Amino acid sequence: MSDTAKLVFGAVLGALYLVIGLLQLLGAVVGPIPGLDTFYLTGNPFSGFVLLVVGTVFAVGARKLFAGSGEGAIFVSIGVLFSVAFGLVELLALLATGLDAYLIGEWAEWSAADAVNPLLYLAVLGAAGFLAWCRAFFRGPGTA
Amino acid sequence: MTGIRIALAGNPNVGKTTLFNALTGSRQHVGNWPGVTVEKKTGRITRNGHTVEVIDLPGTYSLTACSADEVVARDYILDEKPDVVVQVVDATNLERNLYLTTQLAELKTPIVIALNMADMAEAQGDPIDREKLSEFLEIPVVRTVGTRGDGLDALLDAAIREAETSPHHEHTVGYGSEAETMIATLTDALSADRDLAGRYPLRWLAVRLLEGDENVLSRLRKGPASARVEEILSRIDTDEYEALMADKRYEAISAVLPQVRKANPREMSPSDMVDRVVTDRYLGIPIFLALMWGAFELTFTVATPFMTTIDGGVAWLAELVAGSIEPAWLASLLGDGIIGGVGSVLIFLPNIFLLFLILAVLEDSGYLARAAFIMDRPLYALGLPGKSFVPMLVGFGCNVPAIMATRSIEGEKDRLLTILVNPFMSCSARLPVYILFAGVFFPEQAGSVVFFLYVLGIAVAIASAKLFRSTILPGEASPFIMEMPPYRIPTATTALLHMWTRGSMYVRKAGTIILTGVLVVWILASFPFGVEYGGAGSFAGMIGHAIEPLVAPLGFDWKVAVALIFGFIAKEIVVGSLGTLYGTGEETLPSALLADPGLSAATALALMVFVLLYTPCVAALGVIRKETGSWKWTGFSVAYGLVVAWLLAFAVGHAAGLFMGGI
Repeated sequence: MSDTAKLVFGAVLGALYLVIGLLQLLGAVVGPIPGLDTFYLTGNPFSGFVLLVVGTVFAVGARKLFAGSGEGAIFVSIGVLFSVAFGLVELLALLATGLDAYLIGEWAEWSAADAVNPLLYLAVLGAAGFLAWCRAFFRGPGTA
Repeated sequence: MTGIRIALAGNPNVGKTTLFNALTGSRQHVGNWPGVTVEKKTGRITRNGHTVEVIDLPGTYSLTACSADEVVARDYILDEKPDVVVQVVDATNLERNLYLTTQLAELKTPIVIALNMADMAEAQGDPIDREKLSEFLEIPVVRTVGTRGDGLDALLDAAIREAETSPHHEHTVGYGSEAETMIATLTDALSADRDLAGRYPLRWLAVRLLEGDENVLSRLRKGPASARVEEILSRIDTDEYEALMADKRYEAISAVLPQVRKANPREMSPSDMVDRVVTDRYLGIPIFLALMWGAFELTFTVATPFMTTIDGGVAWLAELVAGSIEPAWLASLLGDGIIGGVGSVLIFLPNIFLLFLILAVLEDSGYLARAAFIMDRPLYALGLPGKSFVPMLVGFGCNVPAIMATRSIEGEKDRLLTILVNPFMSCSARLPVYILFAGVFFPEQAGSVVFFLYVLGIAVAIASAKLFRSTILPGEASPFIMEMPPYRIPTATTALLHMWTRGSMYVRKAGTIILTGVLVVWILASFPFGVEYGGAGSFAGMIGHAIEPLVAPLGFDWKVAVALIFGFIAKEIVVGSLGTLYGTGEETLPSALLADPGLSAATALALMVFVLLYTPCVAALGVIRKETGSWKWTGFSVAYGLVVAWLLAFAVGHAAGLFMGGI
């Protein structure tokens, strides 16, 4: 993959994480925001903070790549890692809530949609980046 | 020879304890950061008819010890005179590691080099010619990979052979004509002290004196050579000689290195690449906080189904006891006391194990060393040495080893400061309280509430350090130099072993201290005879009501007051005591707390803050007394913690009350 692809990828994911992170924080302050149900905002300020951190790593990477610095690719790759790592955290949390609902006999009322949140669905994009770049990145220098 | 003592020495974080564990079958704690071992550990094995005693020493960069743990290593080598010193050398960082070799060689102690992490050096394209290195140094060099147990037999055999050979290392660094003249003059003066000359090589003593080693100077004070040596030293600038001699040692190392190692010129390593981002000046701390949040989110959510299972088992057992045991007092003792108390603590086992697993993964990966690095700037600005953050992070597990880990900090004031603020780092014993109350009163955001408490603990520790630095412990913080260990993918075995070692302590505590604590609480709640169990007329009720006025402004009732008193023994007992006092029986403690009209979300938040900050537990106080050597500082730690806890719990509880109601 070329640096241009990484730049576009970093810019898009950076923007998504930052915007949704801000909405998440806004939701924590003012409560549910009408019309934004499709984003599965939970109103958890800490989750909003994490979204902003991951978004910033992507955005810094994209900015550095735009300025011609090869270091930007490193930021995008690490952003991808964070995206996947936090997505995994949320995936495990989702599975745990499902298992707990089963154990306490509330399986019928449990819905996976209730446990979906931005860190989880944005990680799907991160995983695509992981498959494209990160395996090469961790195989060693010069292969990223 | 049948008994041989082998000391494992070397720079910090080169894998000494990993080798020690592999050699002796021990399970000493290892971590991917410098300063994990702060006191010497001993293990025994037999090999070819020899009983071999292996001593794992704390890491040291040179024989000029600066911190308490380095003094332990230096004094052992100098005074206990092991039969052989095995210097564990990080093969990926040969230049810096060989500096200590040059000093050990001057001591004429039998040495064997364990060329550890040789696999990593080879993977980086920097293979080392072991035989040539051995030839240059006149020291046996054995290739080892501690994590896999490679080279252990060869290492032991080489060490035994060296121990059986008379000292023969004549290879020393030449320091140039001027320094050599001074060394000769000092050697001549030192020869007047026969006792000293019998214990240490005179050239080594002269070199150390020329470098201004206070420890060596103190060893010859009051001896016959003292006056002349001091007169010679008064005419020279030892700082200049120290710098000159360090240069000469590195020159000697630089002359050897190109002949034994094929350095592979390369671009940035993956470790360097990751560090560019996670230690970034602006992003480093937010990334650290984000990762911490992820850790607590996992700790809370993933453990939930396991907690539910244990909870169900405890409730079933309590129901069984209540329905089938006679007389009633025995059913109460077993149901309300033991099952209600200990059971309510055991429910949190999954969280504790999970937290330890995550900490082990972060530690073994090398990330926690980075966390200490990125926290250096804000800590230093507030007067706390960056090195303090390593013991503070250890405090997330338990404050007792964390306070002991302050031995790696140079400077008594810096060390005392770190000891005093360490109890604010939230240890795992407090986790059950958070999970219980956050789970009951903040079910949707419990992980985030727990994260908030951990961050609050760090913030209070840092603010307190600033306060102490500007009042009772004035001075400048020591500069922080820390070598970044390479990132490693943690092995499942090591991570699970760490988790089990630390987590099983919690289980043992549940069966001993916590069980005793809840039994005492049950007795206090059941007597005098004839009173309502846990009622106002019981001893527990009387004690609680006597203390209640002190904690009433925080929204706590007498039951909480009693639980907090017993939490002084061990923080887990807060939950165990509540389990006993609420006499939950068939009902679970969370349901009982939720049904208590005296408790609200704001009260729960205040209680969690209070438990986070109030007095350290008895074990932590014991180690504070031992490490500070002062009852005054131990008492101060208790009093300061109580005042801060009361004030912050009051502030947080009432602020939360404005939004959520209650208190």
